[in-house]
Amino acid sequence: MAEEKNTAVEVKQQIAENQQIIDQLNRQLARKNNEVRIIQQISSEITSTLDLDRILETVLSAMDRVLGFQHAMILLKDQVADKLKVAAGRGYDHTTISAEVAFGHGVVGVVAERKKMMRVGNIGASVRYLMAVRANLKEASQPDLSDTTAKLPSLPNVQSQLAMPLLVKDRLIGVLVVESAKPNAFDELDEILLTIVANQAATAIDNARMYQMVEQLSRLKRFFSPQLAELILVGGTEDPLKTHRREVTVVFLDLRGFTMFAEQVEPEEVMGVLRDYHAEMGRLILEHEGTLERFTGDGMMIFFNDPVPVPNPAERALRMALAMRERVQGLSKKWRKRGYDLALGIGIAQGYATIGAIGFEGRWDYGAIGTVTNLAARLCGEAKGEQILVSLRVTGEVEDLIETEEIGSLTLKGFHKSVLAFNVLGLKANA
Amino acid sequence: MGILSDEIKPAMQGVIPSHLVTCALDGTPNATVVSQVYYVDSDHVALSYQFFSKTIKNIRENPRALASVINPETFESWDLEIEYDHSETSGPVFDIMDMQIEAIASMTGMKGIFKLRAADIYRVISATKNVGERIPLSEIGSVSGTA
Repeated sequence: MAEEKNTAVEVKQQIAENQQIIDQLNRQLARKNNEVRIIQQISSEITSTLDLDRILETVLSAMDRVLGFQHAMILLKDQVADKLKVAAGRGYDHTTISAEVAFGHGVVGVVAERKKMMRVGNIGASVRYLMAVRANLKEASQPDLSDTTAKLPSLPNVQSQLAMPLLVKDRLIGVLVVESAKPNAFDELDEILLTIVANQAATAIDNARMYQMVEQLSRLKRFFSPQLAELILVGGTEDPLKTHRREVTVVFLDLRGFTMFAEQVEPEEVMGVLRDYHAEMGRLILEHEGTLERFTGDGMMIFFNDPVPVPNPAERALRMALAMRERVQGLSKKWRKRGYDLALGIGIAQGYATIGAIGFEGRWDYGAIGTVTNLAARLCGEAKGEQILVSLRVTGEVEDLIETEEIGSLTLKGFHKSVLAFNVLGLKANA
Repeated sequence: MGILSDEIKPAMQGVIPSHLVTCALDGTPNATVVSQVYYVDSDHVALSYQFFSKTIKNIRENPRALASVINPETFESWDLEIEYDHSETSGPVFDIMDMQIEAIASMTGMKGIFKLRAADIYRVISATKNVGERIPLSEIGSVSGTA
């Protein structure tokens, strides 16, 4: 009897224990289900926007809110160099933001270089171990020990890191990293959850960056050739909008007889003529990799040797001017049939100018200021239809290339001394 | 179901260094500290081979060894009887170890100097959890006194 009672108690105990285990499993399952649900939410949130900052913020806030990772950062790969820059962080002081990490340096740098995730739970112990090895090597006067250990953006007492490469079709976008001051803070499940978020984030970040680039590109293309705009965007050249001084060849052009023409015909007609003219001139500017500084009505200012230095700015300017003259001769025939008498006049000068962004917030333009621009404009003003007038400096640069005739010294507005000018007849036979 | 259970994994993250005992052919034992015994699968572990050492020499002559690993949170320890199987110089196990070593080496100014030559893979023969008797706090003084 007593034995039966004991058995009954044991069974009851067993049931209670089993129930506890079931409850615990249910709680764990509920947590996992919850995590999966929230991760789905994050995914839809970050893939439905093209706002990069919002994507980064959503991912980082999810790290904390859903997964309980209080220290997380996203580093994005530099467009050109093999380095990463902290784009957003949570749980760090402000000095972490914008910090850079070279490929191959630290956990994050190695993850970027190898494009494979890494989970480390013993950074403190490993570093201490290696520092001891290093001290021994130094004692044995082992050469090539670099003395500088670059500071990495990280918690000061970091023990655990889980770093995920952000990849889009094997192309590295950046690295997502979570950290903890506790050893062994992350496990295999964290790896899985973070992989899901990282995959989604990589695509969303990539799309947002592409969109940003397209927007920036269209803005830059207003001033620069498409190739150059792309070069500026990927950081292959210095920011051309920063004020700087450089020697440039400046080309001014406008149409003789345009003012009278514009007064006599309907505005729609004027616009039609301008459209043809701009399209043809624009094509030639791009072809010769010139920089269109501005156009006002029929007038245009183009320069060479900035933002990208070229070895032969004067030659490019001359070849472009000659091509323009020829092209407008073709257009003129068409215009003449409609009764419009328009011909192109061009002035070219070379010298130093101050170049950069000119304007005010919301309306910046890229411009050049200096005597050289005035001289080119005045020479253009003096040029008759189909004439290309160049300064002495330009003639010196391209004398092997072109046939010129001296037209004597001109008295130009804004210039104290008279200026020697030359009319370009054409390219030399062998040029 | 292999020899190593999930319970042992936290002890194999290198938070607390492990002890490794090997034996030369003539029977001379050698004990050393290794920074990490890596979990490969439930029947295998890996040790890093960076420098040619007494341990490496012993293992190549006599493949049996004993590794002691400790869970840093609970301080539970296991003794693993292991036997050297082969060395890997590529593949997922090598990559994981190599990446970790490179990351830490770059943080201590030893990139390119301290690097992984091979991941030595060992078969686990047995894993014994050390279940020591709990020593009452009152006795700890006398225990350390006798040491």
